[in-house]
Formats: sequence, C-alpha cells, structure tokens
Amino acid sequence: MDGFLEHEKEMTRRAFLKMMAGLGLAGLAATAGGCLHHAELSAGGEGWLPYQYNVPGTWPAQVRGRVPIDPSSPSIVRDDRKCILCGQCLEVCRDTQSVLGYYDLPLVDEVVCINCGQCALACPTGALSERDDTEKVWQALEDLNRFVVVQTAPATRVALGEEFGLPPGTWVAGKQVAALRRLGFDAVLDTNFTADLTIMEEATELIKRVKGELPGKPLPQFTSCSPAWVKFCEYYYPDLLPHMSSCKSPQQMFGALAKTYYAKKKNIDPEKIFSVSIMPCTAKKFEAQRPEMNDSGLYWGKPSIRDVDAVLTTRELAKMLKQKGIDLTGLPEEDYDPLMGKCTGGAIIFGATGGVMEAAVRTAYFFITGNEPPPNLLNLTPVRGLSGVKEGAVDVPGVGTVRVAVCHGMANGRQVLEAVRRGRAPWHFVEFMACPGGCIGGGGQPRTAVPPTDEVRARRIASLYDADAKWVWRESHENPEILALYQEFLEHPMSELAEKLLHTEYVSRGHQLRARKTVEAVG
Amino acid sequence: MNGVLVDITRCVGCGSCAVACKLYNGLNWDVASPAIGEKAALKAHNWTAVETRRIGRDEGKVLRFVKKQCLHCLEPACASACFVSAFKKTREGPVVYNERICVGCRYCMLACPFSIPRYEWDAVYPRVRKCQMCFFRVREGEMPACVSVCPTQALSFGKREELLHEAKARIAAEPNRYINHVYGEHEYGGTSWLYISDVPFEEIGFRTDVSKESIPHWTGRVTKWTLPVAAGWTAILTALYLYTKRRAEAEEGH
Repeated sequence: MDGFLEHEKEMTRRAFLKMMAGLGLAGLAATAGGCLHHAELSAGGEGWLPYQYNVPGTWPAQVRGRVPIDPSSPSIVRDDRKCILCGQCLEVCRDTQSVLGYYDLPLVDEVVCINCGQCALACPTGALSERDDTEKVWQALEDLNRFVVVQTAPATRVALGEEFGLPPGTWVAGKQVAALRRLGFDAVLDTNFTADLTIMEEATELIKRVKGELPGKPLPQFTSCSPAWVKFCEYYYPDLLPHMSSCKSPQQMFGALAKTYYAKKKNIDPEKIFSVSIMPCTAKKFEAQRPEMNDSGLYWGKPSIRDVDAVLTTRELAKMLKQKGIDLTGLPEEDYDPLMGKCTGGAIIFGATGGVMEAAVRTAYFFITGNEPPPNLLNLTPVRGLSGVKEGAVDVPGVGTVRVAVCHGMANGRQVLEAVRRGRAPWHFVEFMACPGGCIGGGGQPRTAVPPTDEVRARRIASLYDADAKWVWRESHENPEILALYQEFLEHPMSELAEKLLHTEYVSRGHQLRARKTVEAVG
Repeated sequence: MNGVLVDITRCVGCGSCAVACKLYNGLNWDVASPAIGEKAALKAHNWTAVETRRIGRDEGKVLRFVKKQCLHCLEPACASACFVSAFKKTREGPVVYNERICVGCRYCMLACPFSIPRYEWDAVYPRVRKCQMCFFRVREGEMPACVSVCPTQALSFGKREELLHEAKARIAAEPNRYINHVYGEHEYGGTSWLYISDVPFEEIGFRTDVSKESIPHWTGRVTKWTLPVAAGWTAILTALYLYTKRRAEAEEGH
C-alpha cells in the first residue's frame, strides 16, 4: 500500500485546470453535436402511408379512408392492426350498397350499417371479418344437456368446398351434412325446408294482397328474406315498409319451428335446444338478435328463449372443421335428418338472385290455378343472371299478367325503391337481395376471390340451378315434410299459429339517420 | 402558418385518422390501450385518439366521435418550459420535438395545458411522444396523414387564417347546427388546430374554462422581471458593499 501511494502523482493546479478545460470542451462538443441537428429530424414519419395519400393537399385522392364499424356490432368486427386504409370497404359500402354517404351528417345515435358484410369480402388484408361465434357453438356442443340442432342455408352448399380447395360452386350438400354430424350436432336439418315454407306463406300473402284481402298492405309485395335488405329498407325507405312481406326469413322460421314443432315431435324440452344456423351472411347474426325474434319463447310462455341461438358464417364453419381436423373433401355424402330436412328445387335456388321470385311464381301459379306451372315457369330466365335489376311478366290464367322485378345489391335496389315511392311501379312482387348475386355472394361466404368477382358468383349460381333442374320436386308445395307440417301443426298458410310463429313486424329506423337519395362526397 | 379544422359534426367514427397516424409514424398497436373507441386514450404510441362520446339530449342520445391530438399552440407552453429547446414551433405550424436533445425532465408534460405529451415510461431511452402534425408531409405541401385519409372531410387542412374563416362561415351558415365557438381560436393564445361542434365542448372532453392568454405570455409577466430584479439586487448589494467598505476604511483611518 505504501509503495502504491508513493507512485501516486500529485495533482498540480495546472493539471487540474487542464483536465477541467478538456472535460468542458468535450461536453461542449457533445452538446453541439445534439444541438446542431435540426429539431425536425426526429419529428415522426418513420412509417409509411398508401400511395394514394402521398399527394399535395389540394389534389383529389381516388378514395380515402374506410367504413365506420360499431365495435358492438353483432355482425362485423375489425382488427385495426391489419387495416391499410386501402378504401375498398368504403367503395363497396358506398357504391354497391349505397349505405355510406347516403345520409346527412351529423350522425344521430348509431353507426349506420346494414350488417351485409360486403366490406369483409372486399377487405384484402382480412382486417374486416364476421364476429366470431364459434366459441359459443363449441360450448353448446360440449354441453351434454343441450340438444344442438343446426340448419344450413341454401347458399353454403355451393361455397363451403372452396374453403377446402374445391373449385367455386362445387356442390357439397351431402359432405356438409356429414361434416356437421362429425362436429357433434345432434340434428342436422335444412334451412331449405323453411325456404319452401317461406314460399308457401309468401305466395299466400301475395295472392291475398292481389285480391285486396290485406288492408294497408299495398302492392308490390317485397321479399323479406335478406336481413340486410330489411334493415336497409328500415333505414332509408321506412315509408315503404307496408310493402314488405310479413314473412320471416327462412332462418327465423326455422328457429321458431325448431323449438316448437320439432321439439314437440321429438319430445325435447325446448329450453334444452340450442339452435345454430350456418349462413352465407353476416346480417343473419344481427337478425337472430332482433328483440322480436323469440316467438318460440312466447309460444311456451318463456320469452327468454331465442329462436336462433347462434349464427355461423360459411367461413366460421370451415374454421371449426379445420380446428377439428375434418377434411370436407374426404367425407361421404349424407342426408339431412327427417322432419325438417327435405326440400324442393324451389328452395335450392333461394341462394341465387331471382331464386326466391322464381320459386314464389311456381307456387303462386299452382295456388291460383290449381294446375302445375308450365315448363317456362320452371326455367324463368328473365329473373336469372347477374344484371342488377331484372324484370319479368308471367301470364297466370284467371289473374292476368303478373309482373315481377328482381334486384340485388342495394344500389340497384334503390332504383326500384325510388320507382315504388314515386308510384311508378308496375310490379306485383319484387325480390330484393342485399348482396350482389344473392346469398351465394353473401358477406359470410369464402373469400375465394378478393374482391369478389362475378365469375365466382356465376359458378355458384349455376351449381344451384343445376341441382334444381335435377331435383325430384321442383315446387315448394310439393315438399312432403311441408305438407306434413301444415297437416300436423300449422293447419294452413297464414293460419293463426303460422302468423304467430312465421310472420313478423318491422321497425322504422328512419329517425336513426338523415337519409338522402344521392351520395354525399365521401371517400 | 398551417392548421387543421376538425368539424365534429362531420365525423362518422371510422378511425381512419388514428390508423393513418400509426402507419405513417410507425407506432405500435396495443390492444390494452386502444386509439379508437370507448377506451381510446392518448398514449406514447397513440398520438391520435378517436374517443366515442354518447351525449344525452332532449330528443335522446347522440353519438359523437372526438379526435384528440396535440393542438399545436401558436405559443406552446411545452417549448417555453423546455430548457434545452427540444420543442420548437415551426413556421409551417407543427410544434415538433427533438428527441436527440431532450433530457427527459418532462417539464413539457407539466406545462402543457391540454395534457397532451406522453412519456415512454417503459423504454430504456425514453422519449416524450406526441403528434408532430406530420412535419415532413406538411413541409412538402402534403396534408398530415390523418387529414389525408379522412373520408368525410371532418378534417380539413390549410392556412390557419383561412380555416378560421371557413369555421366561422360554417357556423354562420347553420347557426342552429353549430355551437357558436371555434375552439382553438383564442384558447391559451390560439392553436393551429381548430374545432367546431354541434354539442357543447365541455361535454366532449374539452376544457372551456381556460385563459385566452398563452402560457408563455402568462409566465412571462413574472419572468420578465428576472433581469431587472437581478440587476437591481446587484446594484443594491454593490452599493452596500462599497458603502460598508468605505466606512470600514474610514474607521481604520482613525
């Protein structure tokens, strides 16, 4: 220690001052190094923006921003982390569906949305998708106390295969039934059954309207199976709601019957039934949650019973199958369970634009004349195809010429609605489908082409019409299970019980927005 | 001097502005502290927050969305409080922050009357974070990212004077629609961002009980005396020193 101290240099005053001056200089240099940078150099901007936004402030952009989505929407959710502000959701909402931009601002008290899900089909990054209800269904399937029934919409059987690599439009009805059985559903039934039922009720209602037996229910009658269309009408054309058929959609008719007719026939406690539907549609999730959709509950005096407990899109079903490791393509073809599993060609084509109209015309012809419709009514070409608004005229003996119109995509629907509003509507019956192509182009369908194309839509539609052409029964009133249902439960179309379970009312949403007829500068 | 006019009545709550801010500035998403919706809040990674507000009215509730971000004061308190000049009001309008010289004292956060700046508490080399009004874009004549993506023109970008004129014109054209108040015209000496609304500003989270005077101006009323007081004290003390010294010398001289 002593030696060490000996070698220590004594700090002179000069050395100390030199050291301090050196440190000071170094400090100055360091500070100057920071100070000489312009403040702007670290002023954000470390990321990117899509090209369309990198223009001087005065330039117009092709499209700006995106659609608003209510975080509590039962139908659509958005993952903001995936959004790239490409604007395609906005374009489809504004141009195809004429929703965004067709109301004056400010908002009233809700985000205006018809829940159609076309934005989710157009979204290239998958930021927009349906609200995932698969967990609810897994829980019900695992609960041994619950009897889980499932219904499958007309349009899912020509699209589900696409999720498993099959070409667009591949017919997988039988494989879908087999897949659902393997997921553990207790009864696999068909929405097509209630599609036939819808036709029975809707054609009866149409005839009554034509005969003037329904006061306050004018012509033309509007179809009511597309819940996004119904909400669109409630928002923008509440004055035309008396035109809307009081028939529930096939999904909701099924829900009401599953917990009444089916429960009675099978002797199952309706409270133990969990009713699931597989739909091509995101708006069906909204429809199932409409407060008035508990008619089976009212039937049993237990209003808390909902007609439909969970709605899954085609994509969600595919996801469940993949989670379970079920490969759809390798499954055998199986048949639907009895009681509510049979259908006719008229129900099959419900999934295509014009299909409801064609099926209704077949059965209405039979109801009016008592005769089978002529062959041209079994191939009603004027209402087939993908043009936006289609018109047809059918000669029915005893009534004369019945004029019909079909439209899909709400921007097309608007043209028809404006004509009706102005009293320039020559039609008796108009079919509206919110989604382009009808249900086969629904917002819950596989994203086989992004954005969706008419080619894919046309192939799915062709598949439905092929099946119809080959089907044993072509007209809804030929469905033996429908006849049994009326015989044993409902008595006849629009009976008191049928009115209670299968028909509904609509609410005006006109006060929820300030509707306008032309698009405001949006996007 | 550029600015942005926010018209609360034109916002549909799509949240594009918040997404654009994240994209352009490379900010992280944190599901636990969202930038959009009921729980939206400004954070170190949320420079823009789009708040959801449901406001009770006689005729029922109304739904409004309120974009919050730095208002870019004409005389920013953050810049005035910062002793290394890490904040700077640029002549283009944005109040920008230089992380290279910031010492992390966070005086700016205390000084800001709108409680905007946020600190990266969990970072090794933390920075103060806030909206920079897309300085590089604005300097090139482009709109800030948020304005460029707004689909409904709820946000408009331009010279502050022209926007102020526009705001007043909109209020004058529809006096029943708007509250007769351009928020940011006078608040704390005026801000580059201006707001107009159809619901009272205090109901959508704006402080209205504020001074028209800027904070630097306000503190300046006191601090401007620093030099005179210091000089005066020096003079007084020097005089006292000389006086006592002379007296001591005089006493010694006896």
